[in-house]
Amino acid sequence: MKKTHIIAIVMIAVAIGAIISMVSDAATYADFNTAEQLAGKQIQVVGQLNKEKEISYQPEQDANSFSFFMVDNSGAERKVIFNGAKPQDFERSEQVVVTGSVEGGQFYADKILMKCPSKYNDGQADELTEITAESKS
Amino acid sequence: MIEYVGENLLAGQVGDFLIVLSFVSSLLAVFFYFFGSDLNPELNSWKRFGRFFYRLHSFALLGIIGILFYLIYTHSFEYYYVWRHSSTALPTRYILSCFWEGQEGSTMLWAFWNVVLGNILIFTSKRWEGMVMMVFASVQAFLGAMLLGIYPFDIQVGSNPFILLREHPDMINLPFTTNPNYLNFVEGNGLNPLLQNYWMTIHPPTVFFGFATTLIPFAYAIAALWKKEYQAWIRPALPWTYFGIAILGLGVLMGGAWAYEALSFGGFWAWDPVENSSLVPWLILVGAGHLMLINRNKMRSMFSAFALSLFAFLLVVYSTYLTKSGILGETSVHSFADGLPGQLIIFLLFYLGLGLYFLIFRAGKFLIKSEEDAFWSREFWIFLGSLVLVISAFQITLSTSIPVINELFNTNMAPPAKPIEHYNSWQLPLTVLITLFIAVSQFLKYKKTDVKKFAKQITPSLILSVAGTILFTYLLQIDKFFINLLLFTSLFAVLANLDYFIRMVKGNVKKGGSALAHVGFGLVILGALLSAGNQKIISKNRSQININFDNDKDANNENVMLLKGDTILMDPYYVTYTNRSIDDKFVYYNMDYLKVNSQGKYEKQFSLSPYIQLNQQMGNVPEPSTKHFWDRDIFTHITFADLENLDSMSMEQYGEPDTLKLQIGDSLFTSNAIVQLMDFDRNVNIDSLGLEESDVALGVKIRAKTLEGERYFANPIMVLRGNRVFSIDDEIADLGVKFGFMGINPEAEKLSILIEEKNKNAGDFVIMQAIVFPYINVLWIGCIVMTLGTLVAVWTRFKQKSNVKI
Repeated sequence: MKKTHIIAIVMIAVAIGAIISMVSDAATYADFNTAEQLAGKQIQVVGQLNKEKEISYQPEQDANSFSFFMVDNSGAERKVIFNGAKPQDFERSEQVVVTGSVEGGQFYADKILMKCPSKYNDGQADELTEITAESKS
Repeated sequence: MIEYVGENLLAGQVGDFLIVLSFVSSLLAVFFYFFGSDLNPELNSWKRFGRFFYRLHSFALLGIIGILFYLIYTHSFEYYYVWRHSSTALPTRYILSCFWEGQEGSTMLWAFWNVVLGNILIFTSKRWEGMVMMVFASVQAFLGAMLLGIYPFDIQVGSNPFILLREHPDMINLPFTTNPNYLNFVEGNGLNPLLQNYWMTIHPPTVFFGFATTLIPFAYAIAALWKKEYQAWIRPALPWTYFGIAILGLGVLMGGAWAYEALSFGGFWAWDPVENSSLVPWLILVGAGHLMLINRNKMRSMFSAFALSLFAFLLVVYSTYLTKSGILGETSVHSFADGLPGQLIIFLLFYLGLGLYFLIFRAGKFLIKSEEDAFWSREFWIFLGSLVLVISAFQITLSTSIPVINELFNTNMAPPAKPIEHYNSWQLPLTVLITLFIAVSQFLKYKKTDVKKFAKQITPSLILSVAGTILFTYLLQIDKFFINLLLFTSLFAVLANLDYFIRMVKGNVKKGGSALAHVGFGLVILGALLSAGNQKIISKNRSQININFDNDKDANNENVMLLKGDTILMDPYYVTYTNRSIDDKFVYYNMDYLKVNSQGKYEKQFSLSPYIQLNQQMGNVPEPSTKHFWDRDIFTHITFADLENLDSMSMEQYGEPDTLKLQIGDSLFTSNAIVQLMDFDRNVNIDSLGLEESDVALGVKIRAKTLEGERYFANPIMVLRGNRVFSIDDEIADLGVKFGFMGINPEAEKLSILIEEKNKNAGDFVIMQAIVFPYINVLWIGCIVMTLGTLVAVWTRFKQKSNVKI
């Protein structure tokens, strides 16, 4: 076999590998109810912060623990727990995107992304700021 | 008809005219250059007209840019773009950032560099002028169409930067649009606080300059395939390709520097989609440049040289689509521009179709040869290296394109939850290969190498690299296999190329450009892995118990709470949060980094002031502060701070009072002092306090000792008047604390003491993170060496070129 053929086979194999790894590492968009059935898989849920319920962050006890209640776009609500500091201006968020997994009825987020409305646009959705917070393991 | 006051409508009308002029003249330039696209060095009238219209287009575009700058500079908020991206309060030095914050401005920036490069190529491209300039003018027509802002058949074509605020679709029917004096109260929206940073003034123009240069190899490759001149294009295109590599590489790394200096994620590279989409064209351009190099010396791998030259530019257009169409939506921190997705897709598909057509029907038909390079030849290893770059670019593009894949195949994937781990799992091994190839290929000869001689030449750097790897592994206690391996290969790449530069080219900088560029690249990788791969988070949570999580699966203890005056161990430092200071819209949190000296006393080493930029419209933005040492950086940033009551009025007010039951001798902590009840004061002077004869008064002596050891005293008094009890409070103004003596329970000997603190004391804590990045300077030195080395190589090739007829 020629060198060129070996190289071509290796390239194809690697390309397939890249596709497989992309699919397996990708998170899934879902709502909370679906997320429960996909235990162990990384899920990305889009929704809103429930401002009525407790947004808990007590840095004097633990600066790395933050929790809140979030309603997803299908209306289901879960408590979201994040091992990290509370993102600045979290209460102002218009939309919250969390990535993580559901365990025991609670959502453990590895990553929080929030969008804040602009004051000038009266919260029109085209003017958003995105903020991410990530917990490193 | 309303007569609006104070509007400068003329500037916008001239601007509108110039937009149409620039678009039409670029189309005419395409037309005339098409008929003048013969590869004949003679300047015929087609080419003359082509030149004329390209210059007219250039003039119009410079005019548009000038007018928009002028409008931003004069705060002409009657224009939507100016209102949207700037404000009166914004310092003038950020005027450039306002200009390209929006989609229209960044399109103009790209078109501007095409104008600069096109006008140079008119003089330097000789017989290639017709073809090359036709491609340039066609790209300018696509970019120009993105500024048109017209609506044929109700389809939006382009977005006009000179649209008036009161006529913008978002503002329709708002009350101010009918107020003739609206300009008296309209204030600009302002610039995104993340962009208010000096790196953001130079990073985008550099990246767009790099993006623009990818059009040169693309245009030459199209010209060569069109005219079936498969080899002659390489000589004129090669120096430009390396110029693009230098500029785009610099731009990408500047983006990393900006992220490190201004963003709070703690690092310079996070595999963010926007970062990725500027890195990928660079990788492909590097591959293209190296394949062209092999072809200059030998007619090999011509097909791949064409393919990569075409794809570098196509990937620039694709990355523009990704970042500007809004398709990245929830995945990226900073895709600022609003989208014109359809137009960008047509732009992309047009050139993709053109490129693929020529690649398949010309290059594919004539240029795929089956002759093989010798295993021990430089071209074989350069070819392999280019393939590794292609794989690297493919993997990054694929995973960054998840939102596009969802659109195309109706899938439901979200970007990887842990992007850094995901990308690193591919890119680390690929970088090992690349650095290894870089190390060995300089010493290999074209065609065939004497293996024994090669082994002898490479041995010294091989031995030194092994020794260096062992040393660093020991010093930094690296225990990850891939990091160790990459440490070895990147050190090998640096040392082998340095050795080549010293022994083979005898330190001649003019001839050693490429060796130096490779040294620089090796240093970038080395610096990245020494700093990011070995970053140490020193703000570990030591004292607190993680109470909330029993399963503790992703326990994160990297954030630490610091009260004002607190000192916490962050090995090897002790960190004290000394105070908060407010300067306009910046809240600085000043921290002292201390070490214990031989006498056991704290000694201040340095101070850092991470800050939060307050921004009502777009959210408050924390920005880090970093202490640079030659061998490491100490990076500090605020992850959370209480931003209530920051204005001076409410800060001086007293907050919620607290009533405590205490005995004489008891002590307690306030936010800035230790307070102790010393004794009763039984000799209260009733007269001087203006009390009545019948009143009974009892004071209590209170001592407050600050953490610095200063002592303050207060003496609140309890007054008994008939059956009524009240307190005469006493304040310690310096500490912002007030005491009241509210009552006494004689049996338990407990006193009711009321404590009030000013708002400025309360909430004065921060949640912060401190990270040590070892040897990060290796990375920055690498950037400079790589860029300068590449530019030297470009210069050498430009000079070589001028001696040869092209």
